[in-house]
Amino acid sequence: MSDSLFEKFEALPPDALFAIKARCDADARPQKVDLGIGAYRDNNGKPWVLPSVKMSELQYSQDPSHNHEYQPIAGNAVLGEDAAKILLGVDLYEKDKTVSTQTLSGTGALHVAAQLIYKGDPTREVYLSNPTWANHRNIFESSHLQLKTYPYWKEDTKTLDIDGWLKTIEAAKKGSVFVLHACAHNPTGMDPTPEEWEQVLDAMAKYHHIALFDSAYQGFASGDLDRDAKAIRLGHAKLSKQSPIIICQSFSKNLGLYGERIGCLHIVNPTSASKANIISQLSTLTRSEYSNPPAYGADIASRILSQHELRDQWYIDMKTMSSRIYKMRVELRNHLVALKTPGNWDHIEKQCGMFSFTGLTPEMVERLETKHAVYMAKNGRASVAGLNTSNVEYVAKSIDEVVHFFSS
Amino acid sequence: MTKMLSKKFPKPSTKCRFFASYMAKIPQAPPDRILGLVNQFMNDPNPSKVDLTVGVYRDNAGNVPTFKSVQNAQHLLHTVPSLRKDLSYLPIIGHPNYRNKVLNFLFHDGCPEIGPEIIYQDRVSFVQTLSGTGALSVTARFLSNFISDSIIIPQLSWANHANVFKNNGFRNISYYPYYSNEKIVLKDWLNHLINIQKTDREVTSNSKPSCILLHACCHNPTGLDPTKEQWDQILDTIYDLNLIPIIDMAYQGLESGDVLKDSYLLRKVLNKKRYKNWKNGIYLCQSFAKNMGLYGERVGSLSIILPETNSGNKSTSIRENIDSQLKQIIRSMYSSPPGYGARIVSLILSDKDLKDQWFLDVKEMVDRLNDVRYKLSQKLNWNSIIDLNQQHGMFYFTNLSPIQVERLKNQFAIYLTTDGRLSLSGINDLNVDYICNSILNVL
Repeated sequence: MSDSLFEKFEALPPDALFAIKARCDADARPQKVDLGIGAYRDNNGKPWVLPSVKMSELQYSQDPSHNHEYQPIAGNAVLGEDAAKILLGVDLYEKDKTVSTQTLSGTGALHVAAQLIYKGDPTREVYLSNPTWANHRNIFESSHLQLKTYPYWKEDTKTLDIDGWLKTIEAAKKGSVFVLHACAHNPTGMDPTPEEWEQVLDAMAKYHHIALFDSAYQGFASGDLDRDAKAIRLGHAKLSKQSPIIICQSFSKNLGLYGERIGCLHIVNPTSASKANIISQLSTLTRSEYSNPPAYGADIASRILSQHELRDQWYIDMKTMSSRIYKMRVELRNHLVALKTPGNWDHIEKQCGMFSFTGLTPEMVERLETKHAVYMAKNGRASVAGLNTSNVEYVAKSIDEVVHFFSS
Repeated sequence: MTKMLSKKFPKPSTKCRFFASYMAKIPQAPPDRILGLVNQFMNDPNPSKVDLTVGVYRDNAGNVPTFKSVQNAQHLLHTVPSLRKDLSYLPIIGHPNYRNKVLNFLFHDGCPEIGPEIIYQDRVSFVQTLSGTGALSVTARFLSNFISDSIIIPQLSWANHANVFKNNGFRNISYYPYYSNEKIVLKDWLNHLINIQKTDREVTSNSKPSCILLHACCHNPTGLDPTKEQWDQILDTIYDLNLIPIIDMAYQGLESGDVLKDSYLLRKVLNKKRYKNWKNGIYLCQSFAKNMGLYGERVGSLSIILPETNSGNKSTSIRENIDSQLKQIIRSMYSSPPGYGARIVSLILSDKDLKDQWFLDVKEMVDRLNDVRYKLSQKLNWNSIIDLNQQHGMFYFTNLSPIQVERLKNQFAIYLTTDGRLSLSGINDLNVDYICNSILNVL
C-alpha cells in the first residue's frame, strides 16, 4: 500500500438535492426561490416548528423526570405502538401481530427493512416505481438487493401508467417486494385513485407479492391521517392473510421533526413462528449500526401522539400545512393559465403532497436556475412548500418565460 | 420443515417462505447479555437488589444525573430562540458548528503539538455519528468497501465490537490476547500480531492490510489499560506491521477526570517523530455518551486522519473525496444525524463557562468513581482496584468466577455480568457495606 491509496478515490457526485440547496444558499440574487428540498416552509418562506411540537418541547423542558439514559434497542415502545395505530387505525391494529421498532426516520426504516429482506432471502427482487425518490435506489442497492422498476408515470399525458404497473406485477417473480408510496408519491405527487389501488393490491395478492409501504407524508398530504392511510389499510385487507406487510414510517414531514430523525419500521402480521426471530434480527441489526435510536425526538413525538390536547393541536397543524400547499398549487396553476403558458397545467392542482412533477425539461430547469434564480430538481420536481403568496407569481412568470424560450 | 409449514399454512406461498420458512430457519439470536440481566434485575423482588451491570453512570443517590453543563445548555436551547430556530435536516455529515467545535476540541485542545498542523493541512475527514457505535459502523462500511475487511480486536472487548464489524462488511475478525490474571499480556499480544501478519503474507499471500481495534482508555470490560510505556511498544509494532489503527474513544475523561489528558493515545499515534505517516489513515471513533452523559441522544464522531502528502500541502481534494464516500454510506443508512444532542455538545464546546462546567462535571464523576474504588479496596482488601496507573473508568474486573457471580445474584440480588465485570457507579454510601459483605460471603 502506498500513499496513493487515498488519492485513488474519486469524488462521488454530491447528493443532488442537498447540492441544489447549497447552490441556492450561495446565490446572492434577492428574488431567488428554493423549490428543491422536501421540507415545509410557511408563507414567509421560513421553516415552521409546529405549534404542537412547541407545546411538547415546552412540556419536556419543564418535566423533571427526563434524563438522557439509553433507550431500549427498539426505541420508545409507547411511540412504536401509537405510531402503528395511526397507520392502521385502532380497529385494525393488533399489538400481538405487529413488530414495531423506532428508526432514524424513513431512511432508517427503509434501510433496516432492506437489510432484513436481504437476511431473509438475498435473491429477493425489489421493485421501485419509475420514477421514485432518488435515495430509494441507493438504500436498497447498498443492501445488495436486486432492483427492478415498475412503470408509474406517463410523461406525455402526465398521468399514472396503471396498465404498465399491472403488467409488471403480473410478470414479476412470485414473492417480489413492491415498494409502494402510501400517499403523496415522490416525486410525481400523483397517487393512484382508490379504484386503481384496488387493482394494484388485488394483482399483488394474486401473484403473491410483498407490499412495502413507504409512508412519508401521512396527514401532510390531505391534512387527514385516515385518508392518507387508505392504501395501507386496503393493503392490509387484501394481503395480510397471506403475507406480512412492511411499513416504513417517517415523522419528518407530518410532525416537522426532520432533523431529529424520528420514524418507525412496522412488520404487520408476521407469522407467529417468525415474530420472535424478526425481533431478534432487528435488534442485532440495530445494535450493530447505532445501538439504540435517539431519545429526544422520540419523546417529543410520543407526547404528541399520546396526549389528547397535543394531538388535537397536531391535527390543526397538519391542516394548516396541507391547505397552504393546496392553495399554492391552485395559485400557480391559475397564474400559468392566465399567462397562457403553452401546455396543460391541471396536473399541478391534481397532484398532492409536498411536490409537483411539473413536466419541465432539464433544460428548462437549468434556465430557471441560471436566468431566474428559481431552483428545483433536474427532473422537474418542484417542492410546492417553497411557494408563497409573495413569490408564486414570480415563479409562474419565470416558468412562462422558460417554456416560451424552448417552444419557440 | 415443509410438513410443519403445511400444517400451519394451508398454501405455503413464496411469501411464507420469506418470513416463515426462511426466517424460521434462523435461530433466535441470543438476547443481549447485559440487557437480559437488566430484565432479570427489574423483576427481582428483593428490596436490597443492586444493579452493577450497565455502563451508565449513577450518582451517590443511585440516579442517572444530567450533568450541570448539559442542564445549562438545554436551558439555553429551550429559552433562547435564536439558538434553535427550526428542526430542519442537518447536512448528511452533521451540524457544521458541531464539526468545527469537535474538531477544535479533539485536535487543537487535545493534541496541541500536532493537531493544529493537521487541521491546517485539512487532513481530517469528519462526520457526526450516532455515538460510538455509529462511528464504528460507518468506519467498518468505509474500510470494507475500499481498504480492508480484516480486523483484530482484543480477546476481551465490548460485546458489540465483533457484531458491528461482522454486520458491516468485515469478513475476517480475529482476536489478540489482552488480559490474563489481572495483567495486560503484552508479550503475547505483540507476538500474536507479528505471527498473524507473517502467516497472512506467507501462507495466504494476502497483501491487504488488517485493522486493529484499540481502546483509547478505560478498556471495556477489564478496566485495565496498558501503561504509557507499553503503549509506545504496542504502537511501534502496529506501525511496523502496517496495521490500520481504529481507536475507540468511548470513555475520554473517565480515566483521569480530565478529558484533554485522556486523549493521550491519539497524541501518541499522531507523534510524527515516531510514526512518520500512517499510510492507510487513522480512524478515531469518539463518543459523548459517557463523558457528557448524553447516552440516549446518540452523539459522537468519526475522524479519519489522512496521511500527509509528500509535499506537505493541503489535502483538501482528497479529504473531499473521502467525505463524498462517507456521505454516500450515510445517506443510504439514515440520511442525516439527529440534531438535539449535537446542539447541546456544540453549545458546551462553544462557551467558556459551559465548557469549564463540563470539565468540573467530569472531574466530579471520576472523583466519585475513585472514592468507590478506595472504599472497596479498604473493605475487601482489594489492592489492584486502586492501582490508578492502569485501573481506569467505570468498570472493575473482579475475577469473581461465574459461580460466585451467580451466587451474588441468587443469594444477595447483586447483579454483575457473568465475566465478573462490576460497574462501580452502582455502588453508593447506602449499599456499599451490603455489597462488600455479600462479596466476602461468596469469596
